[in-house]
Amino acid sequence: MSDQTPNLIASNISKRFGITQALDDVSVSFLPGEVHALMGENGAGKSTLGKVIAGLHAQNSGSVTINGRTLEPGSLDDAFHAGIRIVHQELAQCPNLSVAENLCLHDLPTKGMTVDFHEMERRAAALVHQLDPDIDVTKPLGYLSPGRRQICQIAASLDKEEQGNMIAKVIVLDEPTSSLSISEASILMGITRDLAAQGLTIIYVSHRMSEIFTCCDRVTILRDGKFVATNIVSEIDEPTLVEQMIGRRIATPEAGAHSSNQSAETMALKVEAGTIGESPHEQRGDPILKIRDLSSPGKLDQCSLDLYPGEVLGIGGLVGAGRSELFDAVFNIDKRAKGSVRVGEKEILGKGIRAAIEAGIGLGYVPEDRRIQGLFFNLGIDENILAPIMKRISGFAGIRKQSDEIDTVKQRINRFQIKTASLTQTTPGELSGGNQQKLLIARWMTDQTKVLLLDEPTRGIDVGTKSEIYKLIREAADQGLAILLVSSEMPELLALSDRILVMGEGQIKGELKDSDMTQTNILTLATKETARTTAG
Amino acid sequence: MTQANPAPQSASTKPPLIKRLLAHQESGLILVIILMSLGLTLYGAVRPVETKTAIELPENAQVLLLDDQGTVHESGTIARTKIHTYRVQTGEDSKDYPASEIKNYDSSTGILYRATKLNPFLNKSNLVLVSKDASFFAIIAVGMTGVIILAGIDLSVGSIYGLSAIVGAMALQALPPETGWIVAVPVALLVCITVGTLCGLANGSMSVGLGVHPFVITLGMMAILRGLTVVIPQELYGTQSIGGFPTSFTTGFFKAEFYGVYPVPVIIMILCGIAGWFVLSKTVFGRRVFAIGGNEVAAKYAGIPVGKVKILVYTITGALCGLSACAYLGYYGAAETNAGNAYELQVIAATVIGGASLMGGRGTIIGAVLGAIIIQLINNTLIIFKVDTSYNQIVMGAAIIIAVVIDQTKQRIQARKA
Repeated sequence: MSDQTPNLIASNISKRFGITQALDDVSVSFLPGEVHALMGENGAGKSTLGKVIAGLHAQNSGSVTINGRTLEPGSLDDAFHAGIRIVHQELAQCPNLSVAENLCLHDLPTKGMTVDFHEMERRAAALVHQLDPDIDVTKPLGYLSPGRRQICQIAASLDKEEQGNMIAKVIVLDEPTSSLSISEASILMGITRDLAAQGLTIIYVSHRMSEIFTCCDRVTILRDGKFVATNIVSEIDEPTLVEQMIGRRIATPEAGAHSSNQSAETMALKVEAGTIGESPHEQRGDPILKIRDLSSPGKLDQCSLDLYPGEVLGIGGLVGAGRSELFDAVFNIDKRAKGSVRVGEKEILGKGIRAAIEAGIGLGYVPEDRRIQGLFFNLGIDENILAPIMKRISGFAGIRKQSDEIDTVKQRINRFQIKTASLTQTTPGELSGGNQQKLLIARWMTDQTKVLLLDEPTRGIDVGTKSEIYKLIREAADQGLAILLVSSEMPELLALSDRILVMGEGQIKGELKDSDMTQTNILTLATKETARTTAG
Repeated sequence: MTQANPAPQSASTKPPLIKRLLAHQESGLILVIILMSLGLTLYGAVRPVETKTAIELPENAQVLLLDDQGTVHESGTIARTKIHTYRVQTGEDSKDYPASEIKNYDSSTGILYRATKLNPFLNKSNLVLVSKDASFFAIIAVGMTGVIILAGIDLSVGSIYGLSAIVGAMALQALPPETGWIVAVPVALLVCITVGTLCGLANGSMSVGLGVHPFVITLGMMAILRGLTVVIPQELYGTQSIGGFPTSFTTGFFKAEFYGVYPVPVIIMILCGIAGWFVLSKTVFGRRVFAIGGNEVAAKYAGIPVGKVKILVYTITGALCGLSACAYLGYYGAAETNAGNAYELQVIAATVIGGASLMGGRGTIIGAVLGAIIIQLINNTLIIFKVDTSYNQIVMGAAIIIAVVIDQTKQRIQARKA
């Protein structure tokens, strides 16, 4: 492959958003038939570069050339006709339209005055079914699982000429697996490899280290908008990549004798979280959270668990296994849940979100849903942190006590090292993704909180902030907080958890302890007796 | 051309026809209309209203009033209750009508009225009346559906309607009274629709070009256009109403009589509904409207000219306001400055009852037209039940809320099933 000439060249690209220099004189060339990863921390400019290439953003200077032809900056049309397709991070699709319409949206076939629905469905089926033959193209896209939606989006870029040649030359995959389960992600990576084998250039924007090593040929690292290096994946190791990404080297763990069954990645995470060599927490005293026979129609089936103070209980499983649904039920968001949820001796199920918070449950949500379920983007940092307890620390008739509030907020900000310009004036939108996530967790670290539910606490944030969050989670547990942790990143789950429960089909399939806590065991349990678990 | 990828055909077995019909958005609305109509018909059958129709009497006929003894009385010398028979005498011939069949006899005009019982709902003039009342805003609702599918809103439709009507009326008044319909109708249509189109174009291009939410733009336009509607006739004619159109335009066209009813506005509504349904569900433009409402960013990335489509939808809505105003001019023969007041609410209500989502991405033309008919049926019900019309608003408001709640529940259930 190395003797090939590049077909796509991005040279000296600079791009500014307001005062932020997103890309600074970046040059990368891409070869036909390669999967080329763009990596970097959040804000490193990897997504921006992908979007400039696809014509979604117009660069301030520099040029994108495909097969000798220079593209018009910021012209989606021009890039499209040159054969560049982008599969976008935020699943840019219309959920109200059918799969077929979504696939043909840029060029609806017509018959006379009308859309030729028959032809449209035929075309769409031809595209989608080469990737997944079970997708019904007449169904509204919104009814499909996230993995299948992603597949449909990739399928949309595979349109062919009359002669059967692929029109697409370059496909930009922008964080393609961020909303997918492990099994869906591996299907997707398989598809990616197949496409590259057909001669397409795949630009793979990702922050998931394991995916780079699974499916990419070369990887270009960006840091703070600047080009760092382009490496051949087979010739590089993980610590070097991390070093290139964050500009410093994280101590590589010695291959410990007692943990030979754990991956290097898990070990690295354990080092960062400070849990290496540490024995799991003792289960002290009585459980603080007792869940018995928790069921919800179509979501949960007879789930029972005990959570003890001071432990991190990991919940593993595939997307759709019912992990987030379990949180919804415990936090009283799911009104149809039946069973029993006790905090201490207090039954809270069915008594409302307020009752859950007052009993001492905190819920930290995912970045994916950060915007929807987590933060108030119109309010200041202080109000975001204080939202659940504002009433409690207010004075007569709910009049706010500014000084008390500021004290609490300052304390929290310091402990979590949230970098913000101002406490009251800055809004979460001005913070980086990592700081947003810290803010969300900080909100629940009150004296009153006894149980913390964390759903994908590090999704979409960079390596540096991740390790800070790991430390905070472990520290909180050391101080006696009981933490229920859902994570799709196995190394993270393995590194942080004292015990792991594996869910599947809305049931708890089993518990893993100590040396049984391995990726293989989690996957085995998660997929146990599951003829129909595949997300769909 | 070679089939490079023989895609496995997904064998989608279609559910039975009945189920597919029931699953349709509009089936619930049709069911409501049928149930309401059945109820009103039954009520009307039990409690018919008494009306009178003149009996056609031969020339030189004389009406004699007979009591139960057969004695002839002069009109006014016998109490109504005593009359047994009305005899119509024409020369040698005579025809008797028993008093029970007769409503009354007007001795001054010499007309004998037969008492007839009429179902207050199920008679052709009432049915056409209901549809006609619905048609003026149902025509606008066709455009509004597009706007709402875009996740937009147009509050200025009532004012556009008013202004188009006033300007159209000025043009018609200027025509000589004997102008034929072949001239008057196209002139009126051209003027009304041009005014409406320009207003709609202003709405769309301002909201797209200035990047201001259409709620604000059309709220402003609602006030501005209504102001113009009042000011223009005031300054030019010093009146609140402009009338005096060529009859070829009114009774000759828009209020033309067919079999005793005036169906032209209803026909226009049906044509607009069919055209709107076709455009939205069958053409590329229509599907683009849905795409933008479903996900504007995705639509942009798919190369859809989002701004152009939006402007066009607002423009079409304006044009339909103009068309509706023209029908109104022809039907009523005059334009009032308060024409179309609060129409925006009726139009939005019809669209929403018809299943359109204010969040965008969802809505149907047929639903909107049926929604308009339901609104008029509710009005009609209150009239038939002789409820004071002031209660209309209360019932209407409740109906809107109930309709939307039912629709959303249905959506949720469907999404859960899938």
